[in-house]
Amino acid sequence: MSAVLRALRIRLRALLRPQVARRELDEEMRLHLELETEANRRRGMDPAEARRQAAVTFGGLDMAKEAHRDALGIRWIEDTITDARFALRTVAKNPVLSGAAMLTIALGIGANTAIFSVVNAVILRPLPFPHADQLVMLSEDNPEKGWRRQTAAPANYLDWKERVHAFADVAAYEPGGGATMTGEGEPQRISLRGVTGNYFTVLGVRPALGRVFTSQETWQSGAPVAVISDRMWRDVFGAAATTVGKSVAINGTRTAIVGVLPASFSYAADTVDVWRPVAWDPQNRGQVFFRRAHWLRVIARLQAGVTPRAADAEFQTVVRQLQTEYTETNRFMGADLVPLHEFLIGDVRTPLLLLQVAVGLLLLIACANVGNILLVQAVGREREASLRLTLGAGRGRLVRQALTESLVLSALGGIAGVTLGWWGTRLFAALQPNGMLPVANVPLDVRVLVAMVVLTTATGLLFGIAPALWSARRLPAEVLREGERGTSRRVRRWGDMLVVGELAFALMLTVGAGLLLQSVRRLEQVDPGVDARGVLAVGISLPSGYDSTPQQISFFDALRENVRALPGVTDAGLALVPPFGGVGYTSDFHIAGRPANEYGTEIAHDYVTPGYFSTLRIPLLAGRLLTPADRAGAVPVVVINQALARKYFPGEDPVGQRITFDKVPDSTSVWRTIVGVVGDVRQQGLAVEPLIEAYEAFAQNGNSYMTLLVRTGGSGDVRALVPAIRNVVARLDPTLALAQVQSLEHMERRSIASQRFIMLLLVVFAAAGFVLAMVGVYAVMAQLGRRRTREMGIRIALGARMGELQWLVVRHGLRLVVAGLTIGAAGALAATRAIRALLYQVSPGDPPTFLAVLVLLALTALAASWLPAARASRADPAMALRAE
Amino acid sequence: MRPPASDVLRGTLDLLILRTLALEPMHGWGIAQRIQQTSRGVLDVNQGSLYPALQRLELRGAIDAEWRTSDHNRRARYYRLTAAGRRALGAETENWRRYVSAVNWILEGA
Repeated sequence: MSAVLRALRIRLRALLRPQVARRELDEEMRLHLELETEANRRRGMDPAEARRQAAVTFGGLDMAKEAHRDALGIRWIEDTITDARFALRTVAKNPVLSGAAMLTIALGIGANTAIFSVVNAVILRPLPFPHADQLVMLSEDNPEKGWRRQTAAPANYLDWKERVHAFADVAAYEPGGGATMTGEGEPQRISLRGVTGNYFTVLGVRPALGRVFTSQETWQSGAPVAVISDRMWRDVFGAAATTVGKSVAINGTRTAIVGVLPASFSYAADTVDVWRPVAWDPQNRGQVFFRRAHWLRVIARLQAGVTPRAADAEFQTVVRQLQTEYTETNRFMGADLVPLHEFLIGDVRTPLLLLQVAVGLLLLIACANVGNILLVQAVGREREASLRLTLGAGRGRLVRQALTESLVLSALGGIAGVTLGWWGTRLFAALQPNGMLPVANVPLDVRVLVAMVVLTTATGLLFGIAPALWSARRLPAEVLREGERGTSRRVRRWGDMLVVGELAFALMLTVGAGLLLQSVRRLEQVDPGVDARGVLAVGISLPSGYDSTPQQISFFDALRENVRALPGVTDAGLALVPPFGGVGYTSDFHIAGRPANEYGTEIAHDYVTPGYFSTLRIPLLAGRLLTPADRAGAVPVVVINQALARKYFPGEDPVGQRITFDKVPDSTSVWRTIVGVVGDVRQQGLAVEPLIEAYEAFAQNGNSYMTLLVRTGGSGDVRALVPAIRNVVARLDPTLALAQVQSLEHMERRSIASQRFIMLLLVVFAAAGFVLAMVGVYAVMAQLGRRRTREMGIRIALGARMGELQWLVVRHGLRLVVAGLTIGAAGALAATRAIRALLYQVSPGDPPTFLAVLVLLALTALAASWLPAARASRADPAMALRAE
Repeated sequence: MRPPASDVLRGTLDLLILRTLALEPMHGWGIAQRIQQTSRGVLDVNQGSLYPALQRLELRGAIDAEWRTSDHNRRARYYRLTAAGRRALGAETENWRRYVSAVNWILEGA
């Protein structure tokens, strides 16, 4: 047995079976004494003297044992165990105080666990693909049109793929997309995504069953194929092994299922059921629209060892080549390369970091409170500590014992907190507005646990250090002589610091929450431009078989007439994209009679039927609305929104003027007559300013996917109409399924749901921080009041008035409040600038918010310091003097 | 009364214990007794340092300990030199001799 192992065995034995080790040592020493006694007797001493002499020679028995244990080198472990036991006993002895401390810590750690789990899942964990750091997102930027990280044109994508050697391969997908699937159970609405043939191989995803697509399948080739999600495989196909090889109809097209993805596949938490190849016609490649229309998200995988920066350099060269090669479409077209992970978390990064900072502040406030509780305890035990110092206890030992106590408290609170936090994480994931977090799940992984263990330990040290130093720093004589009075000034200084800190942190938290609250309130007050109450929105997609425009027009006309005739329906209309549904598409435009270089860009388009504006109560400001007479064959017409009229027709009447949606009009351009001007609509949600927009007559364009908007007369749930509408649709065509069905009001609310969610969380954290800070202020002031009870008693006995005495304590409180709030306000001013992006029409230094929060905190804090002051000043002089 | 004894010099106790145990395994009291006798009563081992020293040597692997029954039918913890202890004894004896002669040179040369 090696020496190291032997030593380890001896130490372990002493630690694990301490009674045995102690008994053996006792026995050994007793034998020693006995032998010594016998030797003494042999030297002729009487029994008593022999024993006495033996004991004298031996020296202190306990000291010998202590020395023996020290030599073993496990002293510190034993001490720690003893300290921990002692700490647990102390905790159990003061259940109320300890409970309050643990609850406070649990709250702080819990909030941190929940938020950090989310931050970890979203920001820290890599994407669930092999070598995910090689994946980058390529997007198009166009300064002329104000584009930033927009979807790319297919022809540009193909050129990037062929020309940039830093890319091992480049794939693309069409974001959004839905279809009706028939041939397996009831007709149902599915979420469909078109992808290039190499999409799954670029991501590094292998199918669970069958195969994924091949590169050739990017182009039209053979029969249509599809890959389905694990969820659809289970829900629709009953997880049958024979699913691969089956075929279903997607929008009426027979499609063979060739593969099933693994359950673990998730791309930014989207809920796609079916993927199919984009199957482009090879002839498209040479056509202008293939470079002019932009609808692809492009993912590149970098060659091994190539950095994103190096790849970007080569990529930009190619982008510039394309600018000169295809002047007409690409002259101003820039492009952007970012790591895929960064792209996917773009929108949530700032709010999540804000929440992380908020819970950090909450934890600091919690620490200050618990620190105060422990400090009070330490002061209460001061005589005990002094006595132990006098009896020879090491100061280091006392500090360690106090720290062990706070660590035990923080560990207990931490365990409760992590449990609480795990539950909070679930709650967060369940309550998040759909799709806010770009991850499929939020796991409590090793990183979260390690972080929380570290945080809990740091917390324990942080709130434990003040009382620990306190208990060891004082000279015993001083304490025993001065009693409680001498300590008050020093304790007060610690207490003061805690109060100032707590107030500062609470102010920062509350200001942050206040700013977000203001933003959300402003968002809620925004005029959306439509009256969404009582309106139902139903998406309907026509399958193949309705390919011609007249077929589409006659179907949707019939649908509108039939729905209008339903009881309870007061009006109905259709649109390519409903309000809050985004922008259909954008284009350049040119107004007749303007100079050639005076064209416009980024005009939003919508196709609407008669009845659309009246259903949504969008006001007509000039001219007329669209009528059934605006059909194919009639003069092409367009209704524009107020933003367009203001920006491009200042001081003139747009009605009667003509517009075309080309930058440079030529003989093929279609000129449309502006017949009316309507109010602006927040098409992209409440938080986004309306674009300039043109409403064309659906009957002059046609489309296979439209949203029906129905206004109901009653005040009940608009969804009550759904069965009736379903009947109407089934009567017109039994193979059709309703796509999305939701109330327009819901869509309006959902457009700011994530802002509201973040705001609510921050308000909850700020409220918790606020309450904790006020409890802290109250506790410190109450202590101060108690300590001055004697002084108060004397003063009252000498004839001081009660008001003066209260002022004495309140004045001290006031000084702390002013200091805390000043520091907090300065901190908040500096910090809130970082959340500018999250604010809507509120500046980070918004004076009303700051003022309101300052007043609220100041008043509450003063009340918290006045209460104990009042109590102290009511003290009975006789009682107060006897309190010593 | 016995003549006054000197406490064993700090640092030499380990060496004395090793040397004593080189003869035969012994228990704690026996070791103390033997050191006192062999030094003709000059060196007195303080029990407060004897047992920690034994513990230290055991941890170092220089000695081994086991419970045995003594001559007078008593259970006692007997310490025994290990191979490593024998090597350590050689080295430390050498060290000690060099140290003593160095001190002597200084005392006599002064």
